[in-house]
Parts: sequence; C-alpha cells; structure tokens
Amino acid sequence: MAEAAPGPDVRKLLEEIKRNISWEGFQADRVEKTIQEALATLDSVKLHFLENCVGCAACAPSCPYYYVSEKYGPVEKAELARNIYRKEATILGKLLGPLLNAKKPKSEKDLDTIVEAVYRCTNCGACYVSCPFGIDSGAIIKSILASIATKSGRAPTLIAVFDVIEREKLFLKIPSFMYIWNEVMKKAEQALGKPLPFDKKGAEYFLLVNMADAMFYPDAVIGAMRVLDRAGVDWTLPSKPFAFRPPIAAVIGLFKQAREMLKMLNADISKYEPKNVVLLDGGFVYPWLRFQMPKVLGRRPSYRVLHIVELFEKLIKEGKLKLNQTDDKVTWHDPCQLARRGGVTEEPNFVLSAASKGFRKLPHHGAESYCCGGGGGIGCMNMEMLEQMGKLLGVSSKDLVAGEKELEFIQKTAEHWTIAVKRKIDDIKKSGADIVVTACPVCMHSIAGGAQLYGLKTQVRHIAAYIGERLQ
Amino acid sequence: MGYLGGSTADVYSFAVYYFFWVAITVFAFGTAYRLAKMVLLWRRVVKAEPRNRGVGAWIIGLVRTFVDPIIFSMKAKPHDFLAGLVALHIVGVLPLIFLLAHHVAFFAYWFAPYKLVAETGLWIPLSVTTSTLTITSPIEVKFVNSIWGPLTVILNGDVLAILAILGVAFKIGTKVMEQAHGLRHVRWSDYFSLGLLMFILLTGYAAARHSTGTVTMDVGTYRTVLGFHILGAEILLMLIPFSKYWHFVFGYWYGKLHEWYDLRVQKGLV
Repeated sequence: MAEAAPGPDVRKLLEEIKRNISWEGFQADRVEKTIQEALATLDSVKLHFLENCVGCAACAPSCPYYYVSEKYGPVEKAELARNIYRKEATILGKLLGPLLNAKKPKSEKDLDTIVEAVYRCTNCGACYVSCPFGIDSGAIIKSILASIATKSGRAPTLIAVFDVIEREKLFLKIPSFMYIWNEVMKKAEQALGKPLPFDKKGAEYFLLVNMADAMFYPDAVIGAMRVLDRAGVDWTLPSKPFAFRPPIAAVIGLFKQAREMLKMLNADISKYEPKNVVLLDGGFVYPWLRFQMPKVLGRRPSYRVLHIVELFEKLIKEGKLKLNQTDDKVTWHDPCQLARRGGVTEEPNFVLSAASKGFRKLPHHGAESYCCGGGGGIGCMNMEMLEQMGKLLGVSSKDLVAGEKELEFIQKTAEHWTIAVKRKIDDIKKSGADIVVTACPVCMHSIAGGAQLYGLKTQVRHIAAYIGERLQ
Repeated sequence: MGYLGGSTADVYSFAVYYFFWVAITVFAFGTAYRLAKMVLLWRRVVKAEPRNRGVGAWIIGLVRTFVDPIIFSMKAKPHDFLAGLVALHIVGVLPLIFLLAHHVAFFAYWFAPYKLVAETGLWIPLSVTTSTLTITSPIEVKFVNSIWGPLTVILNGDVLAILAILGVAFKIGTKVMEQAHGLRHVRWSDYFSLGLLMFILLTGYAAARHSTGTVTMDVGTYRTVLGFHILGAEILLMLIPFSKYWHFVFGYWYGKLHEWYDLRVQKGLV
C-alpha cells in the first residue's frame, strides 16, 4: 500500500474530529443531553429489552467478553442502560432510586464504565438467542450506550475519522485510498482479460464494492468479478467507491448520521437502476442495507440486497456456476451480522459443500456460532490497525488517538480481545479445518490474528476469493 | 363477620374479604399501565422483504426460539438450570400455583373455565398420603383421585413446595454471591421479590401441614398462618406489573414471539 502525506482535507478532518472528542473529564450538560436524545429513540421493542430483564444472567456465557471478566456479561453491560432508563423514565425508579438500580452517570468514572461496556460488546447477537426472554442486550448496548458515549465525546478517534471520511466522501480525495482502488480494478481487469463493466444502468446485479472491500480483501473483489463474468450474468460495478464501509457511523452509535449515509448510498445506487445489489461485506453492512434500509427510507428500495454467498448459491443451483470440487479441509465461520443478525446460514454450507468434499461445519455454527470477538469497533482498537491507517492517511498513529487515556483504552481492549478470540480458535481447532472461509473483514482479521496467537496453522479466506479460485 | 366464626379484624379475613379487591385493582391498573406503555411506544416501520424459508422452518424456528436458551443454559450453567429452571419454575412454583388442588379450587371459584382443570383431574394433591383437600378448606370438595396415579409419590404439594423453596433459596444465594462479586445487575428489590416468594411458600407449607398427626395448630394460629400466606400472594399479585414477575404474564411471551418473528420469520435464521 502506498504511503501518503496528509493532505489539507485530512489535516482539517483530524482537527475537527479532535475538537469533538474528549476522553478526559465529564461534561454534565453534554451527558444529560445525550441521555435525553438516546431515550427519545425508545420504541416498544427497546422498551421490552429495557424493562423485562429479570437478571437471570443466562446470557452471560454466550458473550465472548464474559470470558475476560464476568462483569462483561451482556446483562452487566446492558444494566448500565437500564439504570439510566429506570431513573429517567419510570415513576418507581425516580421514587426508589438505588433500590431499583435507577441512576444516571454522574462522574468521569461512570462515563468510562459506559465506554468500556460499549467496547466489550461486539453486538454479535449471541445474548439475544440465549436469553430466555428474547432480550437483545447487544442492541441496547450498541445503541443507547454507544450513542451516549460517542455524543459525550468518548468515541474511538479512528472510527470517528472513518465516519467523516465516508459521509463526506473524502476517500475520493485521499490519494492512497484511490491508489488502492485503482490497483484493485487494474488487477481485476487483468484477471478477467477485458475491461470491467463499470456504471452500467439497469444491470441484473450491481456489485457494490466499497472502499473497505478493496482495502481488506482485494482478492475477494477480483474473485467475485471472475464468478460474475464466468456465470455470464448481466452485472456492473461502480467506477468509484460510494462509501467506506456503510454506514460506519452506526458502529459508534451515531444513528442519525448512519441513516443519512444510507439515504445517500441509496441515491447513488438508484441512479444505476439495478435489479439486485450484491455485497461482499458480511459484517454490519449486510443487515443495515438488507434490513434497516427500508426502515430508513420509509419504503422498500427498488432493488433487492443480496450477499455474494446468496448469489453463489443461486448461480450454482441454476447451473451457471460450476466449481472444481476439491478435498480441502475447509470450514465456514458465520459472521454474526450475516448469520445471526442477517439469517444467511444455509447458503454458505451449500456453496462450500459444492466447492470441497472436505467441507465441515464448525462445532458451533449458524445461530450458535461463536463470535470472533472483533466486531462492534473492537477490531479497530489495536496498534496494528492504527499504524496501517496512519500510513494511509499520511499521519502518525498517535494522530489517530485523542490522548494517553484513549491509547491506554485501546491497548487494554486489544489485550482483552486476545482472551475473547480464544473460544473461536478452539472451535476451529476442533473442526480440523485447514482453511477458514468467511465473509466479514473483521472476522478475517480477528481469526487470522487469533490463529497466529494460539498456534493454529490455518488460512483465512473470503468466500468470494475462495470460490473465484475454484471455477471450472 | 369472618369465616368459621373468625373476626373480620384477623389476618385471614382481611386478606380474603378486603385486601383481595385492593390487590386485584392494583394488578389490573399496573397491567393496563404496562401494556399501554408498550402500545403507545409502538412505531410502524417499513420492513424489508422477509427471507422465505417456508412454514416448516418457521415452526422449527418457533420451537428453537423457546428451546435453544434452555439447552444453552443446561450446558453453560447446569446449576442455574437445575435450581432456577427445574426446581423453581418447572416442577416448583408453576405447578404449585396453577395445579395445587387448593389453588385449583380457588381459581375455579373465581374463574369458571378453570373448572376444566378440576374436572379433568389435572390438579395435584397436597401430599402423598391424601388426595383430598384439607378438612379446613372452605371450598366444597367434589374432585378426588387425580390423574397422576403413582406419580403422586413425587408429584404432590409437599415435594413441589420443598423443591420450590430450595429453588428460591438458591436464587437468593446466587444474588448474594453475584453482589459480592460486584455484579451490577443485582438489585435490592430482587431480595424483596424473592423474599416475598419465600415467605409465601413457607407460610403456605406451614398452613398445609397444620396437622402432623401429633402436633396440630389451633384454629386461630392456622387462620393467621393461612392469612399471611394469602396476604403474601396478594402483595405479589400487586407487585407483578411493577417487578420482574411481569415476565410470567407478559415479558416472556412477548419477548420470545418477537425474537421468533424478528430472527426466524423476517431474517430466516435456521
């Protein structure tokens, strides 16, 4: 990847971000305002999540961070949101306060506790399916608490930077980003041996390649194009990225900004009048575009949203995608956002079974899949990521943190991740697989890092890269 | 005038003839309040096209939505599963509340369709040695010989009450331990809720065992113990809409059905 000098846009962006981020101190007025804004988003479903927890803690062992400390069990983290809700929105909470755990954050320490809860939750949804009452603790941790933390100033600087880069489309102005994009497209053209079908109107399949796809798994971008080309379907892709990893604002609880981004993205896509939009990213991008988009727009979009693995399944069933079946000892890791929160669980098994006779499911898969421990912004909270992104932006990694306190928090988060990822690595070890195929950049990074840490020799591949190399 | 010549000022008469209506009123108000909040906060949204996995997957999904957490709990927290779910819920409190012969008679008196439970013999006898209601029951006994047959050796009020008491004691102990570990989800109100349940179980057990054959409570003591049992149950009834006990009336059913619709029907998780 090319190193860049910081352009004036990047400098201006960093200065602006740092003005809004404050990891030190406690501004009572600001916190109060954020609480009111967060509670204004309550609906009957969130009300159920806040009011009906009996404190049985049955969810606790489902969370990868419970294995770091029992205080990181979902019930414990979500209780912070319930504390605020009870104090602010219930009569008994106002009257009986401490007896019902009804209280609001009142100090720097309280705010730090909230931030810690937010970044010890991957929003993987395991607590949702293991709760005897159907309470999605992750949803309220990553919505109410994340919103309070970020709007009070406690946001990871790097993710806040990505958010602005995405919403202001600054990636188009940052030379290193566009260098990566152009290089991937050039390699794809070489692989296909013909010009890419950019920006066609009315295509059957619109391959929505985002900036993060090109950065994190260029081989998957090329693999997907090879499959689409070989299958002979009518497809296109944007000549320039529309977004970084949309809507990245959601990762830090900025839901208004996330909705704005989705509207903008929909406008960009709709100009091309595609019938289907195909995603490579099986992380949060999938459920947001597939399930949140209609809520945001107030109508269903004019296209269907598919993940590439759903398209692969369809093409295999239609006989348009033929694979050289191998004996690879290959397994599928279900990204939480694609599987538990997106419902795509059967399709990858079908596709990988067609690709290899050695395919085996992980001991914990589908709805019961173990989370990799890196989602919810945690994957961005390590020195390696800060250094890589610093190089791309032409700044020092220190420019991507707000100060010593954020730096310490990032280091502590990275240490905790090493424990959280172990359960996943052990599950992969039990499967006996040599290759782990998945579809989320964070899962890929987390599993590859965890495998290295715990001495597991395994390749981690994106499904599009893996299938793209096995075409007949 | 109280029953069997008792004074209206005693606990039993107060609980049965006066406080009962207070408890019902508070419960009804609280229930309306909780449900109204849910209705008022309901927001109509445009949903994505559901993933169509077919009706079979929906049905399997419905079963899994309810069963998966139980299996998970069995594997991940076996002690909680045994004490919390099995002892406290499945063989303890739930059958005691809804199937114990005394309660069946009471519910059938106030709610006619409940007579079905009495008539089908589903009611659970008080003890292994007798399938009849105790002699002091004010309710006329028309049904004897439950369908449980030899199972009454274990399926009787005595055994179930002991299991329920052990289950509640375990939950109180768990809360103490969790609080000692600094876990923040433990509320002081939990101790009140569980303590009240324990009080109801102990007074109910004591009232039912008013005669051991060698030691017999006098009528006044019996009426007082039974009165406290009923009063405790009425306080619990009032507490239901404002506490964790709401789960059994509404929270559990809404939560699981919402989860089923959200994950299994809408998203197609199989």
